[in-house]
Amino acid sequence: MNSLTDNVIMLKVKAGDLDKMGLLFARYNRQLYGFLFHMTYHREGAEDLVQQVFYKMLKYRHTFTGTGEFIHWMYSIARNTLKDTYKSKKQQVRHENVDDMVEQLSGGMTPEEQLEKKQAKAELHKAIEKLSDDHREILALSRFQELKFHEIAQILDITESAAKTRVHRAIQELKNIYTKNGTLKQ
Amino acid sequence: MKCEQYEQLFAGWANGDLTPAERKEMEQHLAGCAGCREELADMQKVWDMMEVIDTPEPSAHMEVKFQAMLDTYKESVKEQKGLLSRLNDKISSLWQPRWALAYSLAIILVSFGSGYWLFHTSKGGEQEQQLQALTSQVHELKQTMMLALLENPSASERIRGVSYTSEIKHADKQVIDALLATLNNDPNVNVRLSTLDALTQLAGHPEVREGLIQSIVQQESPLMQSAIADVMLKLQEKRSVGSFKELLKQKNLDPGVKDKIRQTITQLI
Repeated sequence: MNSLTDNVIMLKVKAGDLDKMGLLFARYNRQLYGFLFHMTYHREGAEDLVQQVFYKMLKYRHTFTGTGEFIHWMYSIARNTLKDTYKSKKQQVRHENVDDMVEQLSGGMTPEEQLEKKQAKAELHKAIEKLSDDHREILALSRFQELKFHEIAQILDITESAAKTRVHRAIQELKNIYTKNGTLKQ
Repeated sequence: MKCEQYEQLFAGWANGDLTPAERKEMEQHLAGCAGCREELADMQKVWDMMEVIDTPEPSAHMEVKFQAMLDTYKESVKEQKGLLSRLNDKISSLWQPRWALAYSLAIILVSFGSGYWLFHTSKGGEQEQQLQALTSQVHELKQTMMLALLENPSASERIRGVSYTSEIKHADKQVIDALLATLNNDPNVNVRLSTLDALTQLAGHPEVREGLIQSIVQQESPLMQSAIADVMLKLQEKRSVGSFKELLKQKNLDPGVKDKIRQTITQLI
């Protein structure tokens, strides 16, 4: 089944073979979850959002033309879903307890190291949450999803150079937040 | 190039998305610009720092929930389609009257015609005779109409056809055969249920009873199996016990229906 491209599968879904959406779910649920998690830092919230995105892809399957890549269409639906969710809930979804976020730490560290890493992680989460939506989004895509600039450009519908500039600005903003807190270690 | 123009290359540098030419250009600039070296070092530090944040895996629930959502969605689409095709049937039967409407019009015309004609002739015996002739004509028309409706592709039209049975006083073999064929073969369970009702009204005919008993093993829907058990109980048809026992041997029989049929058998014996 892997020989079938995403677009071919999605066009089958569009033609009424709704079960084929299961293949796309198998291919992309983790990636989509990763993106939505980094946009919300809320595990259950991100799972609900993944569900919503797949529901919308079924509901609006007729809008998929196949001229662009399936994955870009998926991300555009995911971004709209995020916007709608925040509009209605006014950012309540965000901010899961940071302590919950950092409970899983790799072994082989002294308790002191563990504590230090836990604190660093918590601080970073707080800092990232302070970023503007655009900047948090571009870091989610470039840093955490490790997408290439040409892919990011297509997903965000901006030029490649604009994507690069935005990544730079996002990192600067993050650095400034840290500098303000006085926690960026030299 | 000014330092600001390297902004874009900084980002590429950080996530390793630079062409060899860009990398070379960047390195050359950095060699001669302390400001950019510092800037890049800071950027790299922030970038590397983000390493500590990992992306969790979704829970196993997510896939289960997705599958449930997909199933529900498929169901809702099916229902919508059903609704749409029913609507289409309605519209097409309105716009293409075909037989049903033609027969109705014929009945109306004959009734009006006969009324008018009766009103203008007033000889007793002859009148009686003519009235009878007309009545039988109307009756015949109704029967033809009913048989035509049973062939209609729309389930609701077929149900309408079945309902005409009550207006036919003397159901002949043709009508009974048509109803039994509908009972056994109609794809729609609602049509089959209505047919069962109609046939129950005609249970005075021995061939109807015989047909109903034979139909027991042919019904696959639990709804029909249970309905036919009710009818047999109502008719106190002891000869049906054999067919019910046959039905009990079927492997896929619904457990609820199984209990019901066992009860029916005990009540009939």
